[in-house]
Amino acid sequence: MSLEKPSRDTALDVGVTEDGLDYDALADLLGGHVLDREEHVNAEGFVIRPDEVQEVLSTLKEEAGFDHCACVTAQEYDDRYESIYHLRKFDDPTQELSIVVPSPKDDPHNESAARVYDTADWHEREAYDLVGIDYDDHPDLRRILLPETWQGHPLSQDYNQDQPQIVSLREHANPLEDDKRSEDDPDTMFVNIGPHHPATHGVLHVETVLDGEQIADLEPDIGYLHRCEEQMCQQGTYRHQIMPYPDRWDYISAGILNEWAYARAAEDLADIDVPEYAQVIRTMSAEMCRIASHELALATFALDVFGDFTAVFQYGIRDREIVQNLLEDLTGQRLMFNYLRLGGVAWDLPEPREEYFEKIRDFLDDLPHKLEEVHDLVTGNEIFQMRCVDTGVLSKEQVKQYGATGPVARGSGVDYDLRRDDPYGYYDELDWNVVTEEGGDNFSRVLVRLREVEESARIIEQCVDLLEQWPEDDREIQANVPRTLRPDPDKEIYRSVEGAKGELGIYIRSDGTDKPARFKIRSPCFSNLQTLPEMSQGEYIPDMIASLGSLDIVLGEVDR
Amino acid sequence: MQSAPLPETLANLLELDPNSTVVMIVLSLAGAGLIGTLMMTNTALAGPWAKRKITAAFTDRIAVDRIGPYGLFIIVADAVRLLSKELIVPEGVDRPAWDLAPLIIASTALLGFAVIPMGNGIHLADPEVGLAYVFAVASTTSIGLVMAGYASNNKYSFLGGLRAVAQNLAYEIPLILTGASVVIFAGSLQMSEIVAAQQQSLIGPLPSWYAFVNPFAFVLFMIANLAEVGRNPFDIPEAPTEIVAGYQTEYSSVYFVLIYLGEFIHIFLGGAIIATIFLGGPAGPVLPGIVWFLIKIWGVFLFTQWARSAVPRVRIDQLIEIGWKGMLVLSLANLLLTAVIVGVTV
Repeated sequence: MSLEKPSRDTALDVGVTEDGLDYDALADLLGGHVLDREEHVNAEGFVIRPDEVQEVLSTLKEEAGFDHCACVTAQEYDDRYESIYHLRKFDDPTQELSIVVPSPKDDPHNESAARVYDTADWHEREAYDLVGIDYDDHPDLRRILLPETWQGHPLSQDYNQDQPQIVSLREHANPLEDDKRSEDDPDTMFVNIGPHHPATHGVLHVETVLDGEQIADLEPDIGYLHRCEEQMCQQGTYRHQIMPYPDRWDYISAGILNEWAYARAAEDLADIDVPEYAQVIRTMSAEMCRIASHELALATFALDVFGDFTAVFQYGIRDREIVQNLLEDLTGQRLMFNYLRLGGVAWDLPEPREEYFEKIRDFLDDLPHKLEEVHDLVTGNEIFQMRCVDTGVLSKEQVKQYGATGPVARGSGVDYDLRRDDPYGYYDELDWNVVTEEGGDNFSRVLVRLREVEESARIIEQCVDLLEQWPEDDREIQANVPRTLRPDPDKEIYRSVEGAKGELGIYIRSDGTDKPARFKIRSPCFSNLQTLPEMSQGEYIPDMIASLGSLDIVLGEVDR
Repeated sequence: MQSAPLPETLANLLELDPNSTVVMIVLSLAGAGLIGTLMMTNTALAGPWAKRKITAAFTDRIAVDRIGPYGLFIIVADAVRLLSKELIVPEGVDRPAWDLAPLIIASTALLGFAVIPMGNGIHLADPEVGLAYVFAVASTTSIGLVMAGYASNNKYSFLGGLRAVAQNLAYEIPLILTGASVVIFAGSLQMSEIVAAQQQSLIGPLPSWYAFVNPFAFVLFMIANLAEVGRNPFDIPEAPTEIVAGYQTEYSSVYFVLIYLGEFIHIFLGGAIIATIFLGGPAGPVLPGIVWFLIKIWGVFLFTQWARSAVPRVRIDQLIEIGWKGMLVLSLANLLLTAVIVGVTV
């Protein structure tokens, strides 16, 4: 990252100063486009006209270097609809800017950002689906999470929850329907891969058009696991009722990482400081979750490439089991941890502490040997390399366009890790590295995950050292947080953490009550999955399946 | 070593007239039944039980151990379970092709055992074209696969059927060419002759099994055989994570059992061919021939299961490339070289 900076056009650094962004300079850049300026907790929000979205965003992208459209949040107020584009930079995600686009209540529509950021395509479809804002000039504005026949937009104010919804079978793609034969290529065959298919790791439906064995066209169809997580969070109180939900987004052992996303957003919103001791425990347990999650990612990827529940899969599960036991000792749960609290963690380490530390150290001592075994069996295998090197290639440019994050981005050489770039917890005090690979192919993504396991192990080791030496009278696990949390009205925040799959962000708007007025989840899998068509176009079915596996999506997080 | 085929042996044993056609037909059928039962027993042991145990050993698990000693009675339980399932016939399947396919897949593999000498006189027939016959019936399985794939009215089955054909075309030729190199050595297609030719000593106690005489051909044949029986790294026609289960996607109940059975018999037939033409057939010290023969075919079975547990699957285009550009060239070279060497020395 630092290597790139000197060659950069200075114009891309508009408003960048020593102590953060100078929003006045950015406002000057946009000139008359900025109608108003709002103060959000994480960044300033520039209010712009709904028909100037593309102009403003491309100016910001091309001249001010905001190359990452992290999230699009839509919401309805009493007097207007609003879309917020959360922009940041891949080089320095602490440089943030929100573009707020209000649109009229009676006919909510604004210009689409999909022409500027490819990632906005799905994000705006979701906004249209759940909130009901129309995006002009959108390439394909359809519902994304709910079925096509759904009546109304569930997160809009006038939505009638009692209205019967009829989703006829006809509305789903019929698996027996005649092949879609396009005029210019009459020899294609339409295949539904999923929602029930051995390789989709959940309920994903990939509408595929095949030309022989090659992918001519492909479109992921999501929403089968949509559980209204955002709305459920809006109905829970900040203090206790929301925390169990994040465990259910990326439900594959990444629970504490998800909880941390909510904890971080809510704590920053309500100005809660977390005791250092609790931060160390959080850091340690979060990295355990990352190891568990990456082990499973490797296992399932092997399942896709090897073709069956073979040795690699079982080894992955076996190694994950040990981390899982450590987490169970700590939290009392194996998947749905519910361990973090606003301002700390639920309880201290299990007693006797020495025994627990011993267990962790045993695990860490065994890990290099186990990874060695995996490298022998998987990454060193010629057939595996034949299958994975140079397949499912995702370029740096595509990664940024689609807002892909996590191992997917780092596998394409995008050096972006929020643990380092937007530090939280105890990460900036510890000695570890961000892993990147330049290949951008399936193989690189696997390598990144394997090497990240090593880095996570280093972090855990340092945390254990710290916890072991922590003075006994200073083990504060919980800050003083009021029983009922009522953040000041109309505060808005977008905060993200480095989840197992990438940037897991939460947007919260408070309205003075003890429940959020809008709770929006920025799921890394959702953005990562968008890259699948780019990766698989023209490749063979097995490579598409491998790419899907290497994206490591969890449908619980994609659909929320 | 050269013993009479099974029907004659039976006739002598039962003191019946070996020149009567009726007696020979009845005894041939009885012999076929015997060999068929023997192979089915092996398959029954392999499918529900040994496969699980072997895979479990490779993957640090225990597998079935609740029912009977070492979980052996799972064979009975599985048989009951599989046979009592509902046979679902999907809409629009092309009958009777759809019904015939499982029969063809299961029976063709079984037919191959007719000419395999298993030791202790268990040898149904010994035609002069024995090896050619085995290759011919083993390849017939492909017809069953195509029928299953095409008749199922399912796109995954269709893809699986096409893959099966492409794969078999790419691998049958190297397989047969490598087999032919053994024929050059032995100077005969007759199975008993091939086995007999491997009885001399090569160096010291090492017998002149063709696996030792020409290890290169042996390796080529083992690889081609993996593709022939469709096991990793070449389980492309089924490829569970890609095309669900390929040609067998739409089959359930008895038909599923037949296809599954056919696959296992096919693996054993591959093992039997390898044992016969490369490993000296039933030859071996101390133990009776049939035991050695079974050990050898189970050894090959173990090898396929090992490959399945540890090796990733190649892509279909890569497989075709390996087959046509690699294996075919190598097996041709092997054939020519063998011909030259045999021509010069003999």
